[in-house]
Amino acid sequence: MRQQYARRTQALTFAMGLAALAIIVQMTRIQNSVEAATFRQQASNYAYELRTFYPERGEIYDRNGHLLAGNKSVFEIGVDLKNAKDPEAIAAAVSVELGVDYAQVLDVIQNPPEGLSYVVVADYVEAQKAIHLQELKKKVQEHAPEGMLGELTGLEFKSHPQRSYPENSLASNIIGFLNRQGLGYFGIEEKYDTLLAGNPVQVLIPTDPNKAFEIPRVPDGTTLVLTINRDLQAAAEQILDEALVTYEAQSGTIVVMDPRNGELLAMAVTPRMDLNQFWNYDVIYHNATEYNPAVSMPYEPGSVVKILTMAAALDSGAVVPNTTYLDTGSILVGGATIQNWNQEPWGVQDMIGCLQHSLNVCMATLSTQMGAGTFYSYMNNFGLGHLTGVDLAGESAGRLKIPGDSDWYPVDLGTNAFGQGVSATPIQIMMAASSIANKGRIVTPHALYAMVRDGRQYDVPAQFAGTPISEQTAQTLSEMLAISLESEGSLALVPGYRVAGKTGTAQIPVDGFYDNTQTNASFIGWGPVDAPQFMIYVWLERPVTSIWGSETAAPVFAQIAEQTVILLDIPPDNIRQQLVAK
Amino acid sequence: MNIQNVTHLVHAYKIAPWRVNRQLVGTALLAVVALAMVATLYLDVTSQAAIAGREIQDLTASITINQQVSGDLQTQLATLTSASVMKQRALELGFRPMESGQAEYLVVAGYSVIEPEILSSVPLPQLSALSIPPEYNESLLDWVDERISSSSRGMQ
Repeated sequence: MRQQYARRTQALTFAMGLAALAIIVQMTRIQNSVEAATFRQQASNYAYELRTFYPERGEIYDRNGHLLAGNKSVFEIGVDLKNAKDPEAIAAAVSVELGVDYAQVLDVIQNPPEGLSYVVVADYVEAQKAIHLQELKKKVQEHAPEGMLGELTGLEFKSHPQRSYPENSLASNIIGFLNRQGLGYFGIEEKYDTLLAGNPVQVLIPTDPNKAFEIPRVPDGTTLVLTINRDLQAAAEQILDEALVTYEAQSGTIVVMDPRNGELLAMAVTPRMDLNQFWNYDVIYHNATEYNPAVSMPYEPGSVVKILTMAAALDSGAVVPNTTYLDTGSILVGGATIQNWNQEPWGVQDMIGCLQHSLNVCMATLSTQMGAGTFYSYMNNFGLGHLTGVDLAGESAGRLKIPGDSDWYPVDLGTNAFGQGVSATPIQIMMAASSIANKGRIVTPHALYAMVRDGRQYDVPAQFAGTPISEQTAQTLSEMLAISLESEGSLALVPGYRVAGKTGTAQIPVDGFYDNTQTNASFIGWGPVDAPQFMIYVWLERPVTSIWGSETAAPVFAQIAEQTVILLDIPPDNIRQQLVAK
Repeated sequence: MNIQNVTHLVHAYKIAPWRVNRQLVGTALLAVVALAMVATLYLDVTSQAAIAGREIQDLTASITINQQVSGDLQTQLATLTSASVMKQRALELGFRPMESGQAEYLVVAGYSVIEPEILSSVPLPQLSALSIPPEYNESLLDWVDERISSSSRGMQ
């Protein structure tokens, strides 16, 4: 009997052992099968998740630390369709709190696109409104019957950053804007888009909750400090807006630059756009050049170019300030007759009188006397027809026709001398004129003062783009321009400060002919003459109350110059000279 | 009871089947207890590592949220002190824009013009500069493996 049990036990043990062995063999076989390798591969695909960490976009400050562009949190509000129990309640809450259409929200929830388990009902919702809605959801949950989740279950909130512009439309032409796809458009936002955006980092994150992962190092985008003075910018915009009303001009531009280093202190244009509502771009602008005419819109600047012609004539030795000529009221250049602005002869004039009375005949005389080679060489060295390299997006190079171009004619040598037949942007004229205010050296205009990255500030040095004229020529011409303004009692004069400058009144070509009633009125000036600290360009397009730059742009120059000396703490000349003497 | 009987009883005790079984069971139980202890230790260490890892993730998430809140507040502050708002407030308080002739300039010994240095050059702490030591994310087996590897490297 006992022996029989022993045999049974042995048989059972053997059978169970065999079964165990079979299981082990099968396990081993499965583990090493082709399918197992496939499954392992599939599993490894889900073991890690590729996640991209985006750095926070760099901020933009003015030179005194005022925030011009920052980041704020906004919310995407959506519905988890699997958990949504009461679409009507959700639609009602969302429509009441966010002001969106109830029927539309309900339709999105009840008829979602096929295959979706989550739908967005509102995006870019201000934090305050989103938090209010979140609190409402919480309250509804608290008051729900025991075991129930509340009618707003399924309503989800996801925060994400959005660009914010605290100054709204101030300096909109300089800053540019960031669209919802994260791309910078215009101005600094476009020019320095890569720097501001930083470098996203992609990391494989283990999906196993037991595996902690190291947060990758994602440095924020570079913060930029601009050369712009916010208060001067605001003053320039206000003065420009008032000027458009006063002179009934179509649009305008005011640029303030430090001629010593090319720092742009203010750049006001019209129209401007509230950057927090950048989607109105198409409503406000007809084409991209209108966004920042100061750098993007070339025009025939007219008589402001005469300072460059005179600089060339003085520097080349063609004339000296006392050189006289007989103004007969007209001159024949390339078979065409060039006349003065009033079609009158001005008799014997020296070079100061030539500038003071803005005589076209004088300028045509100088350019023909220098010859095309010398004249265009100087204009080329002044940068006309070339990009300035200003660090704002969308710059245009304008056009300077030169001998050899198919559309250049001999008469252009005469008309180019007084700013007709040549196109340039305000920033180009300023860059060229900076050589006169800066001892003969041209400065490259720029809007970036410094970059801040990883807590370190890197200042941007001034850049110079050549020396087209000598220091002596620059000082002589500045003095001539100051005298010419003082002699005529210009409206551009600033009490207490000696300034140099030149008006410009350029007829606008309409259908191929210059229209006497439509002009671009301009003024370029700088001061104090003995130690220039600011250079100002004013351009009013199609002023109606007067077509002359001397009666429209010149007084605007005086206004902005007065604000500039206050905001930049520039004392009147006599006090400054006393302070220097001490 | 003579000596022979006693010896016989001791021998009978020693060879009793139930005693042999108890030794086997005892050995097996000992092995089970040892395994249980190792498993418990393993679970304890891995759970602690997982908790620590999650805490780190929570803290970094908190840092991110705090930075977002800080950014929001900074933007709000900038809005409240924007040029247009400040001008409006100044006018409401009875201030008026100064004209160039009203400014008085004094020589102040030692005063230098304030340069637009708005930010310090001190490196700021970075959110992502955290470095998690291996104790927080390696398993007990990883640790044993590392120990064996390092000791074998040491022997070489």
